[in-house]
This record gives sequence, C-alpha cells and structure tokens, in this order.
Amino acid sequence: MSTPEQEAKPLENGEGEGGDPSGFLTDILGSDVTVKLNSGIVFTGTLQSVDGYMNIALEGAREYLDGYAVRQYGDSFIRGNNVSYISAGKSPNLKN
Amino acid sequence: MPSEPLLPLELIDKCVGSKIWVLMNGGKEFVGKLLGFDDYVNMVLTDVTEIDPIEGKTQLVKILLNGNNICMMIPGGDGEEVWEE
Repeated sequence: MSTPEQEAKPLENGEGEGGDPSGFLTDILGSDVTVKLNSGIVFTGTLQSVDGYMNIALEGAREYLDGYAVRQYGDSFIRGNNVSYISAGKSPNLKN
Repeated sequence: MPSEPLLPLELIDKCVGSKIWVLMNGGKEFVGKLLGFDDYVNMVLTDVTEIDPIEGKTQLVKILLNGNNICMMIPGGDGEEVWEE
C-alpha cells in the first residue's frame, strides 16, 4: 500500500537555468567548446549540434594531443561513446 | 517513525547545488559543484578540477560529464584533500 506521499516524487535534477544536461547543451550550442575523449585526445571547435548519444558535430575542429595541436578539420563528427566531457569555452592549457 | 530509504538518484538530487567528488572507471577524478544531471547520470559540473593520476590537475569552468564511465560519487567530498594525504 502506498500513499500519495510515498509515491516517487519527480526529481528536479537541477532543471532550469542551464543546470540539467539538456539545458546546458542548449546554452553552449553555437559557441566554442572543448571536448575530451576517453583516450585523452582533446578537440576544440564550434559546437554545431549534440544528440542524446552525445554524438557531437564540431565546426573548425582542432585536435590536441598532450596539449599540443596536431591536426585541423573542417566539419567533423565525434561518436558519443568516446566522449568523456564537453566543456564550455576553450581550455587554457592548450598550446596554439 | 523510521525514515524512508533514500534512493540513489534521490541522493544525487540532494547534492544539486553543492560540491561533489566523482570517481571515474579509469581512475580519473572530478571535483566540482553539481548543477544538474539526467537519467543516465550525465552531470553538469561547474568550477571543476579534473584530477588525472598521470597528467595531474586541470581547472575547467563548466562541463557536461558523460555518465558512462562514472563509477562513484561522493557528496561534499573533496578529492584534493585525500589526494594530498
């Protein structure tokens, strides 16, 4: 027997003001981002789109290995399973 | 009256707005303020310190952390204190 009070109340998850993941993504769409992969490779570029799998489309992507730029791409697609995190802005630790 | 058991996701929900310490599967750690999360426990963190056992610490303003490799989360934890012990 469960009373209405015992029923699972919906979690707020920090919804609103760009707090929850989808709100954050909406906020940073179109701006410069830093994407780190599980392998340690870092990409920067302009975030064009993201989907529920964290697949990412980057424009003007630059690839960094140990903080140094190694390659440049135009439009690029990153498969979401490789992504460790998406950070707003360009990381200051990256050279050139 | 005994208190209701706290579901895992309710525990995380209580941490929204406060500092948390996240341990990843590969041994990496993140410390930062939790702004929000979703059903996969992807997390939005701000004022983040990324702690890599090899590369050391990196400061990040705001990140969306993929929940796929999250192993453990400690409310109010401060990885740096433990790290320096």
